[in-house]
Amino acid sequence: MVDEFTQTLLGSMVAVIMLGMGASLTPRDFYLALRRPYGLAIGVVSQYGIMPFLGFMLALALTVPETIAVGILIMACMPGGTTSNIFTYFSKGNLALSVLMTVTSTVFGVVLIPLILLLYAAALDLEIPREDIIAVLIVLLVPVAIGMTLRKINPNAGAVMEFLGSILGAFFILFIAVTWIPQNWQFLLNTTGATYVAAIGLGVIGITIGYFFATSLKLHPRNARTVALETGIQNGPLAIAIVVFTFPPEQQQAIMAVPALYSLFIVITSTLVTFVFRRANTAAEQKLPDGLL
Amino acid sequence: MVQADRPWQAFYGPDVRPDIGTSSYRNLPELIGSVAETHKSAKAFTCVLPNGMNGTLTFAQVDEMSDALAVYLREVAGLNAGDRVAVQMPNSLSFPVAAFGVFKAGCVLVNVNPLYTADEMAKQFEDAEPHALIIADMFADKVPAATRGHPIPNVIITRVAEFLPVLPRGIVGLVQKYWDRSVKPVEVAHVRLPDALKAGRNHIRTDHVEVGSYHQAITHDDLAVLQYTGGTTGVAKGAMLTHGNLILNMEQAMELLGGDMEKWAEVILTALPLYHIFAFTVNMLAFYWLGARNILIPNPRPLSNVKRAFENYKITWISGVNTLFNALCNEQWFQDSPPKHLKFAGAGGMALQSSVAERWREVTGTEVLQGYGLTETSPVVTFEPLGKTREGTIGIPVPSTDVACFGEDGAMLATGETGEIGARGPQIMKGYWKKPEETAKVMNGDIFLTGDIGVMDPDGYVRIVARKKDMVVVSGFNVYPNEVEDVLAAHPGVAEAAVIGVPDDASGEAVKAFIVKGDPGLSVDQVRAYCKEHLTGYKVPKQVEFRDTLPKSNVGKILRKDLRAEALAQAAE
Repeated sequence: MVDEFTQTLLGSMVAVIMLGMGASLTPRDFYLALRRPYGLAIGVVSQYGIMPFLGFMLALALTVPETIAVGILIMACMPGGTTSNIFTYFSKGNLALSVLMTVTSTVFGVVLIPLILLLYAAALDLEIPREDIIAVLIVLLVPVAIGMTLRKINPNAGAVMEFLGSILGAFFILFIAVTWIPQNWQFLLNTTGATYVAAIGLGVIGITIGYFFATSLKLHPRNARTVALETGIQNGPLAIAIVVFTFPPEQQQAIMAVPALYSLFIVITSTLVTFVFRRANTAAEQKLPDGLL
Repeated sequence: MVQADRPWQAFYGPDVRPDIGTSSYRNLPELIGSVAETHKSAKAFTCVLPNGMNGTLTFAQVDEMSDALAVYLREVAGLNAGDRVAVQMPNSLSFPVAAFGVFKAGCVLVNVNPLYTADEMAKQFEDAEPHALIIADMFADKVPAATRGHPIPNVIITRVAEFLPVLPRGIVGLVQKYWDRSVKPVEVAHVRLPDALKAGRNHIRTDHVEVGSYHQAITHDDLAVLQYTGGTTGVAKGAMLTHGNLILNMEQAMELLGGDMEKWAEVILTALPLYHIFAFTVNMLAFYWLGARNILIPNPRPLSNVKRAFENYKITWISGVNTLFNALCNEQWFQDSPPKHLKFAGAGGMALQSSVAERWREVTGTEVLQGYGLTETSPVVTFEPLGKTREGTIGIPVPSTDVACFGEDGAMLATGETGEIGARGPQIMKGYWKKPEETAKVMNGDIFLTGDIGVMDPDGYVRIVARKKDMVVVSGFNVYPNEVEDVLAAHPGVAEAAVIGVPDDASGEAVKAFIVKGDPGLSVDQVRAYCKEHLTGYKVPKQVEFRDTLPKSNVGKILRKDLRAEALAQAAE
């Protein structure tokens, strides 16, 4: 259950996060991505092939109520989150690739998310408000476009927006932690361990599969680490927004459980992974000698 | 050295005057003011941070701000004409304001490397005796230690994001203070640069101060900059560069290379530090004169820091050193979308490897032209003319310059004979600050002896064969073995030390130290850590080797050349 004020707040926070995402991009990035469609394809496969299938398998294997299963599926079908860019930055991955994968998966998501969601939901015999989800996704592409334009017109405004967006991404998780958890305390105690397994497993297994998928394609280690984080880190705020805006209030608590828990646990998972990746990166950087540069 | 024929003039373009004569500007302030006068609102300097945040000053703004700083220095700080002002900061909008302000005040600019340790700063301050210091806050924590015993009366603090719009400036400030903690509290009495400008403006308004009166009498022969260099012997010396040196050298370089440049239309990328003479004269002065927009990069490391600058601005010219061009060509984003509007690039500071020049041509479709010069020559002596590059050479002398090789006895050699390169022209320094004996060692009449051994092709292209002294060039920075050896010798665990340069793929040359242990427990890490405390990064030995003895001559002098031969033989294996 989410009141109207919180709902508006959630919506505007997601909008600002998307604005920041757009501000981190230039049309040139799309041009470059199209010139190297290989990278783009990897992103789409990992985001809409691997992750939804993983979600499907988790929903199938774990004995969870239908509402929780819907939550797992929605979370699994989300595009990459902006937090993946922050973790990529700190793990010294390929930031440009991360940003690009995040944005292309968001753009492709308008078509792919409802499609895949519907497919797996049908397989699991679950009800999904398809049209509403498409509407939310399209509405959220608007701030992305505005962000891109802003960046083009005024790099300063773009950089400020990008900065605020990523700060807000972190703040969003804090917001969930302090508002949603206390309100749903009882629910969280009563729900089965399977819910937690799904929320944590989605991130941990996603990053692991993403990493092995990328290395099996012989990607540069830096890019492989980036793809790994990008695969495992989903757009939590978007999932929560979709649940809040498309499902009837009485179902929201249970459906939102996995997205909310995922959003919290992914921070811990990604932080640990970042430490490992950072160490792996130190040896491989292009060393610039001290001197005139 | 009268070279009646100057054979290289055949390679000058049709519009290049072999002799540029004298300049129409009497001094730098006049040049700065008159350029600003013609295109007041054109963009002069833009500082671009890694995330694309930026700030811009127009020609009129730089002119006005430097006026205000000049008035502050003279009226509030109480400086007199000829007083030295040290400027120590990375590339930022404050740099041109500070440098131009010092010139307009009739004072002498002392460029200081911001990465210097407190020890290194102290040496330079002791010699130059600056009356004021304008320093970026990131480096101000070194000031107390660097000025102990000889305080600098006026300290002006600025920051990298100075003059950026308020929001980006605030964000950068917060990030620097709380996130990377790169800005520490300033512990000396100081004034902030914007406050100094405000005070200067107040004086202009209320007391009707005429900035022109400070610099009216300055002529070409007057001192403008003390540019420190280890010279050829390793003792830090301030090369006295005059207003004439800098104005004419900038005009010489532009005369040869400016043919393809359009006034008020160029956008140049300055990733090299402005405190270095190459970027100072060529990027800052010459391109300001041309009316170009100068994109300043505070810190090009990692190289992804310059990505946004390439994306957001149509860069038409870039200067750099071999290391920079090589590293750019290795970046995927640069390979994918090389700058489309680039006309050509200029390389200096260190030898440009032909493989790097070739890569650059492949990636960008433009030439890198190599130039040559020294701090003592303001710096440009030779440059490759556009479309007439010749592999293995440093190009031909710029207009109004004579170059020849000289024998051990000081006699000029015939073309084709190998000897020490000597140069004569309006860009040769006035001498070393307070060191007439040192000046005498490098001057042969009006000819400056470079310390580099070279040879000239019959048609005037110059090749460098070797260096006369033991100096090591690490990615464009000179390292003098004496200085590093002195630091090593001061370590209690070191009995003896010798330092040489060895070939290095990344930086051209790297510093290698040979050490005889006094304390058997001494480790390589300890040696390097000790060096890092006392020396700037590029001077710290990359390689350290422990030896039982060092090769010595029969009078006990350490033979660096033997060590070098050994190292080269090892590298060849």
